[in-house]
Amino acid sequence: MSRSMISAPESRALRLAAALLLLALLSACGPAEVVVKGNFPDPLMEPLPLTMGVWYGEDFAQHEFFDEAKSREESGWIVKTGQAQVQMWDKLLAGMFTDVLHMKGKPGAGQMNQLVDAVLIPHVAELQYAIPAHTNVKVYEIWMRYRFEMVTPSGKPIAEWTMTSYGKTPTAFMQSDEGAVNLAAVMALRDAGANFASNFTRVPAVQEWLQQKWQTPPQEVTP
Amino acid sequence: MMRALARCLCLGAVIATTSACVTSTVDEMVFSEPLEGIGDSSVVILGRRHASDYETEPDFIECVGDHIAARDKSITVIGELDFINALYPWFEPRTAPLKPQDIDKLLLQEPVALKMAELKTEYMIWIDGSTVRGDSAGSMTCGVGPGGGGCFGFGTWSDDANYEAAIWDFTDQIEVGRVNTSATGQSYMPAVIIPIPIIAPVQGTACDGIGDQLLEFLSSEY
Repeated sequence: MSRSMISAPESRALRLAAALLLLALLSACGPAEVVVKGNFPDPLMEPLPLTMGVWYGEDFAQHEFFDEAKSREESGWIVKTGQAQVQMWDKLLAGMFTDVLHMKGKPGAGQMNQLVDAVLIPHVAELQYAIPAHTNVKVYEIWMRYRFEMVTPSGKPIAEWTMTSYGKTPTAFMQSDEGAVNLAAVMALRDAGANFASNFTRVPAVQEWLQQKWQTPPQEVTP
Repeated sequence: MMRALARCLCLGAVIATTSACVTSTVDEMVFSEPLEGIGDSSVVILGRRHASDYETEPDFIECVGDHIAARDKSITVIGELDFINALYPWFEPRTAPLKPQDIDKLLLQEPVALKMAELKTEYMIWIDGSTVRGDSAGSMTCGVGPGGGGCFGFGTWSDDANYEAAIWDFTDQIEVGRVNTSATGQSYMPAVIIPIPIIAPVQGTACDGIGDQLLEFLSSEY
């Protein structure tokens, strides 16, 4: 009876409204997603006279972190850092070395690659985040642990080390949780760049390799 | 009836506005008395961000910079973000110099020395502190019905600001002074149909206090 009282356009409009309402309800249940975006400055330093290759694995270039909601009150989180990682590391390495080349393939025996002094392969080993709802401290935080491999173009290991980075941002008026997590991630990426740039030549295995390469003690880039 | 209500609201707002005042204290330590202004050199104001549970708000740093630049047009204040981006990665929380003598090591790097010379930085001011929300009390109820909506209740909270500025003379690489400012204020929000926020400008008062003291170091007119 009631169906016959609704005209076709009205019925379409009702269906559309119902679909939109359902979509809105479903989206409210989904995890909060942050695709990290930021601008990263060029490093101000004397470049090391090296031709450095870089290889970003799929795990790094597409890096994302997923944290499932632990209760009905909390929201799950997806933090996609891959794009920003590549952007930041490309800029940093270009300023740290005289030449930087992206490798055609992962360095290994039989892999044809460009001629470089060494190849750097970064990995994000771990990412943790904290928002005020977790800690009761009005600060958004991102903590990352990187693992770096430095290998010859044929894949022979030169050095392997880990490094941490940390970024935080205070609760800001009119800033969403997503915006604050993005800002904390950008700060963590900047910190990663600062840590890498100031400590690269202090990594014992790298220092040894540089000494062999240059036959002289390398000059540290840290103040 | 409406006029009476409007008058009542205005009176309430006036009473509350006078109550939302701020108490501020400024302490100053001078190690090396400035003789003259900074001339055509520039000054940079930076926030310390080492602590894990708070960080100096970028907008506070901007406020102090604006305060100084507005009162003495001859002073060039370099924006915080512009400065740390131009000198990346040497002024990040991890790498920033903690004492004036560390600048020497930084200047050993030629690109850094050149950039510093280009910026003509005479004073580097590090501000450390934050504004925190203190006790709060009261309650407010809001509702919406077919005839409209409204709120009723009363809320109050206090804000405490505490900042310390360390002034480094870039040329002599020494700390020339320290300024500490603290401000406390109580804010109110009465609500009769519409909430009326009466905010105590705690951070703004701290900004003015620290800005005025810094002008004595930087300006020949103060």
